[in-house]
Amino acid sequence: MTTVLICDDDALIREALHEVLTAEPDLTVVAAARNATDAVDLAERHSPDVVVVDIRMPGGGGIHVARELRHRCPSARIMVFSAHADPAAIAEMRLAGVTEYLVKGVPNREIVATVRKLARPREL
Amino acid sequence: MPESAFQLLVEGVLDYAIFMLDPDGHIVSWNIGAERIKGYTEAEVLGRHFSVFYPPEDIAAGKPERELESAVADGRLEDEGWRLRKDGTRFWANVVITALFDGDGRLRGFGKVTRDMTERRRAEQALLERRRLVTHLVEAQELERRRIAWDVHDDSIQSMVAVGMRLQLLADRLGEEHAPTVRRLDDAVRTAVDRLRLLVFRLRPPEIADRGLVRAITAYLADAAPAFGLDHVVRDELEREPPADTAVTIYRIFQEALANVHKHARASTVEVRLSTVDRGTLVEVSDDGVGVVMSADLQAGLEHFGMIEMRERAETAGGWWTFAARPGGGTSVRFWLPTTP
Repeated sequence: MTTVLICDDDALIREALHEVLTAEPDLTVVAAARNATDAVDLAERHSPDVVVVDIRMPGGGGIHVARELRHRCPSARIMVFSAHADPAAIAEMRLAGVTEYLVKGVPNREIVATVRKLARPREL
Repeated sequence: MPESAFQLLVEGVLDYAIFMLDPDGHIVSWNIGAERIKGYTEAEVLGRHFSVFYPPEDIAAGKPERELESAVADGRLEDEGWRLRKDGTRFWANVVITALFDGDGRLRGFGKVTRDMTERRRAEQALLERRRLVTHLVEAQELERRRIAWDVHDDSIQSMVAVGMRLQLLADRLGEEHAPTVRRLDDAVRTAVDRLRLLVFRLRPPEIADRGLVRAITAYLADAAPAFGLDHVVRDELEREPPADTAVTIYRIFQEALANVHKHARASTVEVRLSTVDRGTLVEVSDDGVGVVMSADLQAGLEHFGMIEMRERAETAGGWWTFAARPGGGTSVRFWLPTTP
């Protein structure tokens, strides 16, 4: 079972993501955070396989989560789920070790496939 | 010219106060222009010291005496400032004092020519005020656009994305009877999200301050033109970068012109030319599309709002805007904005 932490300041997005991911039998959502600070705390507590983060969020945004988790929860892999493809933000996240960047509006199956892809190395 | 005719000219000139002072600054001659501008009759003013025309703060500062001293030292003195009429009201005066010497180099007095510049000063200030208001207007518009862009981006788009995600889940759960309907709904939501993203893209602030107008326009074209299926050319013939708020206005009019090309022209190429003309910036946005006459949308009045907006923006900034068919086919939007310091 792959465990996922959701982090987005928009309640509708959090709920929709929760529903999309839990609809998959091999995925389970362990927690949902509404800001970057909570996301880091919840990741430390739950050690999820995958953290889905938005870029623009209170508490330092997705970049804060990515940087903190590198040493506070190094096993977690990060997927960005953001409303826009800002090249500067993508580059910044890449430097923080984030490779998966989905723009909101992609089909649900792509979200699910990306989460599975990130989780796979640990399962092998 | 006989001396008497010259005297008639001086006495008859209405627009200039022309009079003479003795070496100590007492008034020894007067003309009709002086009476009109300053309000004193000749009988009232002859023999009085010319400092009577200066406001108290200038007298306290010793300005009348200083001006005479300067005129003696340099031959003449020119000054602009407040002066008093007989009734105590003020007018904005341009004053030239000329020191008059005889053949032996002795000071015989001063010639003084005063013009009432109040109207011109008022006009200049009205122009400055207008300029200031236009700057504020552009700033306010840009701020409002930024707010709307963030609202659409952070709220509307996110909500619709969430709706789309739920519609997809719903379609997966429904039987084949209803799933296609829900998928069509999801497609409609996705199209709306794309349109909102385009709106945000158009609303976002141009990066003129860092990169200059031409590069901001080129960058916008590089993003937008391929999405519109357009080739694009930018011709930079600017000799001077327009001031920041003018550049923002140019950028916004250009965006609207480009949107019109996309919506109505059925063109394959758009060309943007910027040049410095008549102490201002001339911009031409030309396409090779179907032209003005052919456009059914234009006839239906659908382009109207964009046209009015472009024209109003240009005219508010003190410029002009026009559009016409190009000789070789297609349409050309041209607008000019002054470079006011």
